[in-house]
Amino acid sequence: MATFKKSGGLRDLLESMYSVIALLFILVACVELCDAAAAVDVYRLIQYDMSGSPFGSRFAALNHHAASLRFPPGADLSRTVLIIPLRELNITFVREYITQKKPLGGLLFLLPEVLSFKHGGNKQVHEKEKMKKLLAELEQLLVHSNIPYPVYFAFENDDIDTVLTEIKKNDAMGQPATATTGGYKLVIPTAEPKKVASPTITNIQGWLSGLKADGDANQLPTIAIVASYDTFGAAPALSVGSDSNGSGIVALLEIARLFSLLYSNPKTRGRYNLLFGLTSGGPYNYNGTQKWLRSFDQRLRESIDYAICLNSIGSWDNELWIHVSKPPENAYIKQIFEGFSNVAEELDLKVGLKHKKINISNPRVAWEHEQFSRLRVTAATLSGLSVAPELFEGTGSLFDGRQYVNESAIFRGVKLVAESLARHIYGHQGKGVQIFADESSLAANPAYIRSWLDLLSQTPRVAPFLSKNDPFVMALKKELADHVDEVNVQHENLEGIFTFYDSTSARLNIYQVASVTFDLLLLLVLGSYLIVLFCFLVITTRGVDDLISLFRRPPSRKVKTA
Amino acid sequence: MTMFHFFNCAILTFGPHAVYYSATPLSEYDTLGTSVKAALVYLGTALVKLVCLATFLQVSENDGFDPYQELLKALIGFIDVAGLYFALTQLTHRNISQNHKFQAVGLGWAFADSVLHRLAPLWVGARGLEFTWDYILQGLEANANLVLSISLAALGSLIWLRKNKPKTLIPIIYACAGIVATMPSITSYLRRGLGWHFPKVVGFELFTSLVMAFISWQLFSACQRPST
Repeated sequence: MATFKKSGGLRDLLESMYSVIALLFILVACVELCDAAAAVDVYRLIQYDMSGSPFGSRFAALNHHAASLRFPPGADLSRTVLIIPLRELNITFVREYITQKKPLGGLLFLLPEVLSFKHGGNKQVHEKEKMKKLLAELEQLLVHSNIPYPVYFAFENDDIDTVLTEIKKNDAMGQPATATTGGYKLVIPTAEPKKVASPTITNIQGWLSGLKADGDANQLPTIAIVASYDTFGAAPALSVGSDSNGSGIVALLEIARLFSLLYSNPKTRGRYNLLFGLTSGGPYNYNGTQKWLRSFDQRLRESIDYAICLNSIGSWDNELWIHVSKPPENAYIKQIFEGFSNVAEELDLKVGLKHKKINISNPRVAWEHEQFSRLRVTAATLSGLSVAPELFEGTGSLFDGRQYVNESAIFRGVKLVAESLARHIYGHQGKGVQIFADESSLAANPAYIRSWLDLLSQTPRVAPFLSKNDPFVMALKKELADHVDEVNVQHENLEGIFTFYDSTSARLNIYQVASVTFDLLLLLVLGSYLIVLFCFLVITTRGVDDLISLFRRPPSRKVKTA
Repeated sequence: MTMFHFFNCAILTFGPHAVYYSATPLSEYDTLGTSVKAALVYLGTALVKLVCLATFLQVSENDGFDPYQELLKALIGFIDVAGLYFALTQLTHRNISQNHKFQAVGLGWAFADSVLHRLAPLWVGARGLEFTWDYILQGLEANANLVLSISLAALGSLIWLRKNKPKTLIPIIYACAGIVATMPSITSYLRRGLGWHFPKVVGFELFTSLVMAFISWQLFSACQRPST
């Protein structure tokens, strides 16, 4: 009986031990490694289809050897990733590679750390204009090409700089990294990029009611102030668009705040309604604005006196432009322009008028006011840009960060627009009355502008990647709701000709690998070492005869069979 | 590349033990049981050392050489010697000659040491894509450790198992045993106090292990002569 119990207890102990051992094996097998030489955050080039044609970088996962621009000519780069820092970028070289569809394993562009909104801080950018031009050219090339390999952007830091110098040294010696010669391997373990299902664009509108006189049955006239808030750039995870169109959003919010102060008191409430619109879908031919306008009631649309669209008012020096699509001889346009000019004179800045005719057959909509004009609403765009941007140009590019905007420019722009609108609303045109005077309680607040600009410069806002209840969109809505009477949010689907793919950022691991030949060599050396050790031990402990006898059949057996 | 490298480093770390077992007469006399028992004794010793270290040692922030701590570590290291004494004398071995007993014990001891200290880092580290020389150096260290363990076992068996030794050799035997027993402290002093890099330390270990092996071999054969 005692032995029975004992054996049962022993069996239990063995069983528990087996389970522990099994658990240990599972744990051990699951241990995954992350001991890379460097691990960097990287941001992928955008991938999209426009009317069925593919554009951008079509792949996300990367697992190739790295090479620098000093690779030996004639080397096969189809399984290599080229690392190109921006200062060594030769745009013709990249253009050649892309347009001639030369095989390449991948591209990694290194941007100066000062451009990063996470670590850049407030350092000054050297050679601003040159870098801006180079980046703009690169972005236009990449965004409008179909690239069948992964393209990533990363910011330079010490780790990646040391890796790059090593790679350059190796390349200069004439040994590009491949599986047999060792070197550095870049690995990005992401899944295949998937389509973003039904991307939504969200328009936010705020309504500030004017003072309706008793007995007045007519609808009050409305003035609309509109700015689009979303961006599009080569790297959607970096597309913060501080100037395009962060400056416009900040100006709109500040103008809304100023007018809400005026309109809160019935004695100072104007006889105009104010309609504020934060539209999405700007880079896609102002698709969101079009849908927003189409959703308007006929009466509302007819009651709009005029609309002012704000676009890129953060980086101008002393001249702003008013872009219109109706001819400048039009009475309404004249009135608007005169109002702005008078205020501009007082504020010591210049305002110019630019006329661009709309071509109805051309789907390209370069300015937001054109969407209004297509529906016969008088509108103009106030912008620091003098020329209409091309498709996907200047809508939140890589250089458009916090350092690129000038908050005093936005401040002056706000004053210009607010003052002009107020004089029109209260009928003070031509009179030298300053409604939003500095030092008054109605002065524009630079701190407000600065804080919102800082926030916008850290928030990438590419529309397909903003969900319906994205926190930033909700924040905009809440902010507008603080200033206006009524806020409405409209969700629409982005125009069907665009399809976007996800996977916008990833983590790159850089490994220093030894070649396969090294491993084989090591195996050979170790094998011979063990054999020599074996022979040595046999000889010293058993004698040479024993060693020889291991390799010869014992002679007795042979004799027997014979 | 990763599993290949792991395989290479594994055969460098554990291969010599297997080769030693099969090449010398140990395999003919089937001394595997002795080796296994010695390995278990090493396990027990390691646990005791761990507890003592945890109780008495302070964790220092900087990686410098603190003489007091190192002295404490050396004292605790003598538990190793006690474990070896236990394995050599107290375990009931089958009738195997003294010559083979110390070899089997040393082999088991070294194998357990390699497995406990080097298997886990090898499994976790050598399988990654990143290449470092660390694991190859670790394997060489395991080889040096094998030679040192066998030398220590030889000297230990001379001290405790052989009763009739030439009087002149006794202090030399004790001195050599002392040096081999304090090898861990010496290497740690080299690494921390003098700041030697890992390859240099491994080279030193290999050299000293060969020298100590040679000396203990001479001592052993010198003590062997009177009994034959």
